[in-house]
Amino acid sequence: MSHSDTIPLHSTSQSDIDEIENLINSNPSSVLPARPPSPPRASIPISSAPIPPPAFIPSNLPAPTNPKTAPVPSVSSAAPKPPLPPRPSGPGGNISASGFGSPPNTLTEPVWDTVKRDLSRIVSNLKLVVFPNPFREDPGKALRDWDLWGPFFFIVFLGLTLSWSASVKKSEVFAVAFALLAAGAVILTLNVLLLGGHIIFFQSLSLLGYCLFPLDIGALICMLKDNVLVKVVVVAVTLAWSSWAAYPFMSSAVNPRRKALALYPVLLMYVSVGFLIIAID
Amino acid sequence: MDLNPPAGENYAHPVVCFFHVIFKAAALAFYILSALFFDSFVIIFVVTVLLAALDFWVVKNVSGRILVGLRWWNEINEEGESVWKFECLDQESLARINKKDSWLFWWTLYLTAVLWLFLGIFSLVRFQADYLLVVGVCLTLSIANIVGFTKCRKDAKKQLQAFATETLASRFSSTVQSAFTVV
Repeated sequence: MSHSDTIPLHSTSQSDIDEIENLINSNPSSVLPARPPSPPRASIPISSAPIPPPAFIPSNLPAPTNPKTAPVPSVSSAAPKPPLPPRPSGPGGNISASGFGSPPNTLTEPVWDTVKRDLSRIVSNLKLVVFPNPFREDPGKALRDWDLWGPFFFIVFLGLTLSWSASVKKSEVFAVAFALLAAGAVILTLNVLLLGGHIIFFQSLSLLGYCLFPLDIGALICMLKDNVLVKVVVVAVTLAWSSWAAYPFMSSAVNPRRKALALYPVLLMYVSVGFLIIAID
Repeated sequence: MDLNPPAGENYAHPVVCFFHVIFKAAALAFYILSALFFDSFVIIFVVTVLLAALDFWVVKNVSGRILVGLRWWNEINEEGESVWKFECLDQESLARINKKDSWLFWWTLYLTAVLWLFLGIFSLVRFQADYLLVVGVCLTLSIANIVGFTKCRKDAKKQLQAFATETLASRFSSTVQSAFTVV
């Protein structure tokens, strides 16, 4: 739509065209605002292309009021400070950020930024779930930024470790371990939902996957050391750790009278994985 | 949708198109050909699922953004409810998207899902439960992307219509106003 093509009859029609062009060019209201870089992710910087249009800046600000900024000091892996102004991105070797001009939101960030953001999200989720942190009392908020990559890696790693330790039937062991863990996570989530609990499906899958991390470590140690006593001790310790990690999230999701009903299957699954680790030789 | 790529222009982002296709093709090829070379199911499973997961990530985060200007994700809001968010570029940039890019994007997306479905039916017929597991995982990932992007596109179209009616309405009202001022 260019001015040179139209012959204005009189001044008011020119202003119509101006009006329409303004609507097209700066239309924050008709497009879903770009993904606000900071809210639920207090600890992850969004380094997108340089200049944000004014409409997007306010969306950066909610982060400081969000209680999630509290864990920033304890989550030291990601950016050291809450990202109030979006950091300009290092150019790096990137494929994108071309052609689409102005909206400097996650739609136009360089690929490397997306990778870094996802990786740091995995690490921060892991720390939130598995290590002590101030958020365990408010679990719904703690794993707000669920992702399934971490659980995917941990399940595959556990399957691989078990398969490696097995001297026979390696393929079956892997397939069984993977299917057991994946189906187990789904069923445990359904269990909580059916008990009338308030939990989000993917958040719970994500949580149960991250809680496998201690068992991963246990399986790795058991693979390296073949002594039965060592195995039992290691598995017991990591089992307790996994259960401790999963406890607050699962128990707070359901009615207090049904806490045991929600927690028992989780414990059962982890105990069976523990036995699998001990029994494989 | 036509079967042939629109003629008369080249791909605007050939590298991204390449990556968009390569992981899908690699996962399918590896799955189909691996039976000839590898005995171990574990390797087949891990490599295929890894390639499919990488493909999912590339499509969702990179090629969706660059080839068709769409993005979808899930957030959990303050009340603890899960919200699916869809994001698209503004209308002017959407109109500028290379037709060939977007043709390739959508066609490969649908085609891979159909191929995985066929492979799943084969392994079902042969009663190979473990291969069915692999196909199931890859199919889930493909379908997730298809559903996400289709919803995103519908959302973008709705916004386009809303925007167009809004523009038409404002233009109409200002034309009427100008007509009255002339008279």
